[in-house]
Amino acid sequence: MATQAITPKEMIGSPKNLTVSRQKTIVNIITYTLLGLGAAIVLVPFYWMVRTSLTAGTRLFVFPPPFFPDPIVWRNYIDAWNALQVSFTRFTANTLFVTILAMSAEIFTCSLVAYGFARFRFPGRDILFLIMLSTMMLPGVVTLVPTFILWRSLKLIDTYDPLTLGAWFAWGPSYIFLLRQFFLSLPKEVEEAARIDGANLFQIYWHIMLPLVKPALLAIAVLSFIGNWNNFMGPLIYLNSGEKYPLIMALKFFEQSLSKEAPLFHYMMAMTTMMSIPLLALYFFMQRNLIEGITAGAVKG
Amino acid sequence: MIDTGSWVKDYPFTFSHWLLVGAAIILVMLITYRLLKMLGMKTEAASGLALIMPWVLGFLIFNLYPFIASFYLSLTEYNPLRPLKLDQLPALVGFKNYIYAFTRDPNFWPSIRLTLLYGAISIPLGLAGSLATAMLLARNIRGVGIWRTLYYMPAVLPAAATALLWRWMFNPTSGLINTILSPFFSLFHMDKPAWFTDPQLVLPSFVIMGMWGIFGTTTVILLAGLKNIPRDLYDSATVDGAGLISQFRHITLPQVTPTLFYVLVTSMIAALQYFTQALFITTPRQAGIFLNVYIWQQAFNQQKMGYASSLAWILLALTLMLTLLVFRSQSFWVFYEGEIQSETKKKRRKNLQLRQSVMSK
Repeated sequence: MATQAITPKEMIGSPKNLTVSRQKTIVNIITYTLLGLGAAIVLVPFYWMVRTSLTAGTRLFVFPPPFFPDPIVWRNYIDAWNALQVSFTRFTANTLFVTILAMSAEIFTCSLVAYGFARFRFPGRDILFLIMLSTMMLPGVVTLVPTFILWRSLKLIDTYDPLTLGAWFAWGPSYIFLLRQFFLSLPKEVEEAARIDGANLFQIYWHIMLPLVKPALLAIAVLSFIGNWNNFMGPLIYLNSGEKYPLIMALKFFEQSLSKEAPLFHYMMAMTTMMSIPLLALYFFMQRNLIEGITAGAVKG
Repeated sequence: MIDTGSWVKDYPFTFSHWLLVGAAIILVMLITYRLLKMLGMKTEAASGLALIMPWVLGFLIFNLYPFIASFYLSLTEYNPLRPLKLDQLPALVGFKNYIYAFTRDPNFWPSIRLTLLYGAISIPLGLAGSLATAMLLARNIRGVGIWRTLYYMPAVLPAAATALLWRWMFNPTSGLINTILSPFFSLFHMDKPAWFTDPQLVLPSFVIMGMWGIFGTTTVILLAGLKNIPRDLYDSATVDGAGLISQFRHITLPQVTPTLFYVLVTSMIAALQYFTQALFITTPRQAGIFLNVYIWQQAFNQQKMGYASSLAWILLALTLMLTLLVFRSQSFWVFYEGEIQSETKKKRRKNLQLRQSVMSK
């Protein structure tokens, strides 16, 4: 290997290295061009969403569609907010209500279950864990009808109960899996020291273990928030009265306007933008955790 | 009549139940712990079992019971509108539903075909595309974080929003896609495609929309996988004079196969359960009815819950078959570190033992 070492003089002088550096520049140009092209493909639909939301309803079907809306109609947002019989204030409140209840119960129970699977030895642990992982493959529709019958027999259809109470039962095997990976990576001495100091199980969990897995907790918090905010199948099946709908179901009202003569694409895009802003904001602030969350299963597993 | 003020009742109703169930769960955990201790179990085992109780209960109530019940229902013609006497189970009809689905239902095979074709086209395209993107990002480029943030953005958007947005962009007369492509169409004297409203183009439209929506997730995961490849493999390959292409073939591709495998399995399961987007897009006739959507229609629009359960079990069988197939195929193409390095690991372990025995002396 030593014979291949290049002296600084050779590096500058030799024509071979010149072509290498030129090659590098060309490869770099291609890389950035491709990446930029990809970014454009990703971003243009986002732009189109915002653009349409600011376009006047009468100018929606102008051809060719202007790239910039003219005039910019900010009123669309206010009009769309109040376009339905129920104001979007209520839809937003519904969404927040369901999302927060489901998310907090999910984080609480999933972290307890993950802690149990990761740090304690008990009979049948590995088999139970395997069963838990295999439930990830079960298509949702298989359990859908009996679960619906269950909630109906409890007379809880058209309430928020089916959308929130299940979260207490550690739904979300992937969250448990992710948290377990984090718990496993902690040294055993952490708990032993606390136990010698006389801390009980819950104190150890709450004061020592949870703070140590905070990045993973934040990751599942973000994933769970996004998941519940975007949950569609649940409200679709369990809610009947329009005023109880979350945002995603309210969009369905606008969607039904599409079959009519004047489709309300501008209202629809305005509310889609509104609905996406909290998620995008959350994503920008928490992306480190989120990306850790989505990649952990693939790379660590 | 819509009652906007009903939240005063609605929220406290569920919130009180929510608190009760939460308290009950904690109580169950405590009781489990006490009970197991009383039965003479060690503290560690009793604590562990008590901690996983929420999942155990959830598994029994929301997985195992519905799983068995749905198989039972699939053998009946259960219709919730037809009144049943109290405590009376719907009558068994054998495999009638399954036979009907396979032989006579005119919408069954088209929905299977659409679902499978969607997966068969969008998954390979998506994997190849995101692997290429991830490889570009894995080069030492500036601002990896910013690019990654950008590419993941569509995955954060609600599926319903994605569907509505693309439906608008695919609008035949004044959608963005046809506007951008219109010079191309006039050059070749072609008619503007009608995308979602043309039965022939429904599938490609879904594929294009799906690619945009899921591209980011797979790219981010594959990027993490690429970053995990030990750098020294490339360094030694460069020293040995391996070009970029042979580095890709002999290092990058084999090393990234475990991640590719993971992404393949998850995107396959997701494709088989394609639902939300499809529900927000109305297509002519049944051209856009994916299997999952069809099951939902049968159960909740047609109230044929027995038949829907049979369809759900067919979907389950399909999922299991395909997953098994992919898992079986692993040995042909997925490269695991352990397989080759087990020899060196053995050696390393031997060395370690040797060193320890020397040190203990």
